[in-house]
Amino acid sequence: MSYHGGGGYRRRQNRDFDYHDRRQEVVSETPEDRLRTFIIRFGEVDPVQELQHFAEQLNNHVIENPANVSIISEGLRYAVTEQPYKVPYYATVLRLLYDTPAIKTEDAEGVSLGKQILDDFWKGFQSYLDKLAWRETRLCVQLFAHLTVAKVITAQTMYDLLHSFSAVLDEFGVPHGRAKKAALCAAEGLMVCGATIKEDTSANVFELISALQAYVDSTSDSKTLIQPIIRLYANTEPVEIANEILDSALSALQILNASDFSQSSESFVQPYKDVTLFAGTTFDLPSILVPPEVVELDTLSTESGEDALVKKEEWPEFYVRLFDSDVTPDPTTPAGYAVRSALLDTIDIFEINRKECARLLLEYPKWTLLGTFRPRPGAPPHEPITGKDWQLESTIIETILGALLLLPEPTHKSVYYVALITELCKLSPSTVGPAVGKSIRRLYGFLADGLDVELACRFGDWFAIHMSNFNFQWVWKEWVPDISLSLQHPKRILMRRAIDYEIRLSYYDRIVKTLPEPMQAPDNGLIPSEAPGPDFEYDDPANHYHDAAQSVLDLIRGRSKAEDVMTHLESLKNSLETTDSDANTDSIIRSIAVQSLLHIGSRSFSHFLNAIERYLPLLRNVASGSLTTTGSSNLEARIDILTAVATFWKRSPHMIVIVFDKLMQYQIVDPTDIVSWAFTSGGKNSTAAHPSISALLWDVVRGALDKANGRVLVARRKVATLRKEEDEKAALTLASNGTSMEVDAEAKPEVPAEESPALTTALKAFSILTREQKAVLSRTLDGFVDCLASATSPNPNAKTVVTENSWHNRANWSEAEWVTWETWGWYRHFCRMYSPYLRSYSTTLGTVSFAKIGNVGDPAVDAFKKIWNITTGQEP
Amino acid sequence: MAHVVPSLDQPSNYKDSQARIDRQKQNELLSKSTTLYIGNLSFFTTEEQIYELFSKCATPDEGGGIKRIIMGLDRNTRTPCGFCFVEYYTHAEALACLRYVSGTKLDERIIRCDLDLGYREGRQFGRGKSGGQVRDEHRSDYDPGRGGWGAQAQRAEIERRREVEERYMDAETGPGAVAGGGEDWKAAEGAENKLKRGRSPEDEDGDDRSGTRARLDDVADHDAGRM
Repeated sequence: MSYHGGGGYRRRQNRDFDYHDRRQEVVSETPEDRLRTFIIRFGEVDPVQELQHFAEQLNNHVIENPANVSIISEGLRYAVTEQPYKVPYYATVLRLLYDTPAIKTEDAEGVSLGKQILDDFWKGFQSYLDKLAWRETRLCVQLFAHLTVAKVITAQTMYDLLHSFSAVLDEFGVPHGRAKKAALCAAEGLMVCGATIKEDTSANVFELISALQAYVDSTSDSKTLIQPIIRLYANTEPVEIANEILDSALSALQILNASDFSQSSESFVQPYKDVTLFAGTTFDLPSILVPPEVVELDTLSTESGEDALVKKEEWPEFYVRLFDSDVTPDPTTPAGYAVRSALLDTIDIFEINRKECARLLLEYPKWTLLGTFRPRPGAPPHEPITGKDWQLESTIIETILGALLLLPEPTHKSVYYVALITELCKLSPSTVGPAVGKSIRRLYGFLADGLDVELACRFGDWFAIHMSNFNFQWVWKEWVPDISLSLQHPKRILMRRAIDYEIRLSYYDRIVKTLPEPMQAPDNGLIPSEAPGPDFEYDDPANHYHDAAQSVLDLIRGRSKAEDVMTHLESLKNSLETTDSDANTDSIIRSIAVQSLLHIGSRSFSHFLNAIERYLPLLRNVASGSLTTTGSSNLEARIDILTAVATFWKRSPHMIVIVFDKLMQYQIVDPTDIVSWAFTSGGKNSTAAHPSISALLWDVVRGALDKANGRVLVARRKVATLRKEEDEKAALTLASNGTSMEVDAEAKPEVPAEESPALTTALKAFSILTREQKAVLSRTLDGFVDCLASATSPNPNAKTVVTENSWHNRANWSEAEWVTWETWGWYRHFCRMYSPYLRSYSTTLGTVSFAKIGNVGDPAVDAFKKIWNITTGQEP
Repeated sequence: MAHVVPSLDQPSNYKDSQARIDRQKQNELLSKSTTLYIGNLSFFTTEEQIYELFSKCATPDEGGGIKRIIMGLDRNTRTPCGFCFVEYYTHAEALACLRYVSGTKLDERIIRCDLDLGYREGRQFGRGKSGGQVRDEHRSDYDPGRGGWGAQAQRAEIERRREVEERYMDAETGPGAVAGGGEDWKAAEGAENKLKRGRSPEDEDGDDRSGTRARLDDVADHDAGRM
């Protein structure tokens, strides 16, 4: 209540802005909208109670206006494809509508409403299929499967439908993404209606399952690259802490089949079974053909003819398992698969609104068989189902984290999953909080068993953002004993990183306060001894170049023109050459110039941008290796710039990544320079004999790779837009010339109208950028060869850490071994993350880098090549 | 694809009340906007903290990234006054923030994000009578992240982090006061360079265009439109 005069009329600031402020402009609702909404909202109070009345209402709508059939069917399509948990209930509604007395309409006499709707619904399904909208297609198949059990759809035609999907697995060279999605359509349909199909003797359930089995068997190589645990030695044991999605589906089907699908009714709700058995004319699903993937017609090749169109590659999906099967369902069992699949779909569909998603996830038990989940505290108790009685919150968090921890990357941005968990915690802190805490401990435990390096980073990232939303409250105390582990042990790295990320989101003093005493001690290497900040090397008056640097600083501070600063640097250099003749004066001058600019810009990100923008000509000259004139390209000069940045920000490594990014943006350095730096100057600390890649350096490398790839993407789009514009213009000209449209397919561009200057420029940019893309990928691969498999300077640790014996002896690993192991992890990640590009350029890249690689038979070399071959789709 | 629940990236009722562009044109601009207005920040939150959180929605591999951050400053004291603009290279990144970041905490405050028409000269300053954000003048609750109880109490608390407060003392006004953050890639020197540059709209262009328009009956303050 506020009575403070002027301010009183203002609504008290509500913290939940999105609900209260983000209201949409009021759009007047049509009767059609209302009908669709009515269908979508079905079941929200009690689906079973609502069934009869709901079906009657729909019937009334059609009596009122027969045209409503298509509105109902449309509403049903939205309802089914966006609310997977309600599918069995919508099946029941359709079943009931099959009983509704046939309504006489002019064109559909005597046809039940159910049949009319299903006819129309099929058209919608067909259009999802034509667009290869896989999730929508799959959820419709689930609906059909339930209708098959309800005896509304003929078992034979349902089998044919499933068979059409499993036939995709036999297509020659089928991409994994397509195979996976088609297989899931077949598998999930079969899980629901297997019993009905099996009763129908002519159909062959075995065939469907063995097709899936055969496909799953063929994917074992790529699995070694994306499983969440790093195993560098040859190993066929399945990973214990995760399940691959097709493996899970296959296993669930095998269990179901073994008991003739009697478990289906324990895994899926079948409300239609309480309705009298349907004995009327069954619906025959028309036959389908799964259309081929769309081939993009606008192909654009690189200069050397590689296809530059790169689609993200789809890999097998391993979902991390965090709890025992009595806490959360095992997804390799029918009931467990059903739960996880419904939750995953919900997480995916409601990505547009994480708050609603959180609410729906917590309401999920309502849509399952009673007894599946343990009742909420305070809710009326019910008889648990033996073998079920799972914990809802642990199941939800496990599923979300499973999706977050997919490799090479999650479906949506990581931060979505993180924000979703935050919302869940806000909705029900007392039940979700403990599940989150247990999950963190479990993941932390996996670190000692080889949790993938990328996943460890994602884990750290989640941890920090989560804590940032919940007052940075974590029981750090329980990890104190791990301070005795090797400095480079994954657990210590995780602690360091989590603290670092927390500090980035907050500030040093705040985070230090949250840590127990032993962790605060700077010699334990978990926290820096002071707040992160800049480090101007020449600040100390005792520094040999202090005065020189001060004079440069003064000029920049006084806003001197870039030319004047350059002239001054030139004269400094000349005088240094006479006094310090053995020093590398070029490097020193570069370092002074760059660090001075950074010093002026060190107050904030904006200050940095201002400083850089004001002195761009200076930086360009420095980068070209000269000072007062524009010289030609000079790698050494650019590496010096990067080293100066890293020196200046050494106590705030995050800034290195930010500054490097902008140096690329302003085109002072190229992505390839950054990668070169990371594998030479950046990756070499004074004690190590071999370069290595840490998570921070990987951030640097990834920033460069992404920049190069992003530029190609933008350039490609520009070319496509310009071409389209020109085609349209040409078509218009042709049309206005009176040429008939029919001949233009043949007669079109005999002589293409002269390329516009804009298009010429865009094509030129595209070819420069693809060349750069190839260069940066090549440099990275080269760098990893130097780290792990070099012929001239082999890294002995690279050999040992890939062996099984050594891995089992990891408790005794030194820092050098852990560092090498991590580098292997980043090499693996580089390969799988950029595999579409690597594959497309594999010939050139492989030839160049593998010329420097060691001999076959060396375990490091073999492991290196194996990973490369899996990536590029060759025999491993 | 959102028939069951509304998407969080729908435009809200936030607007720049001093924009001299009609509503329809504004909506059109917003549907392509790469800039976010971020509100309810602590006065002590730094650009680096903002960068850290907002980089989670960046997609550099699609040509995106954080272009620049413009800290909202008190017109008189040149100190952060609780809002900022984050500009990306792509619209999709801005939308992702509405879905994933808006309504979550930064520096232990729940922040809000809204699509913005884009930075124009002068918008980095608060529009309240005291120089800060209008909203804060009406604030009557205790807010440690913003220095106590509303405008009166602020002064005393501000000593707390002089370092943060002094950061922007050198903030300038006028064209070119705010850095651009780097444009898209251009081929090195040559004719095409000019060609491309001609097409990229600078901040000043936007100003000139809207400057010639008749001023609509704006509410004078920046915040009124947000309540």
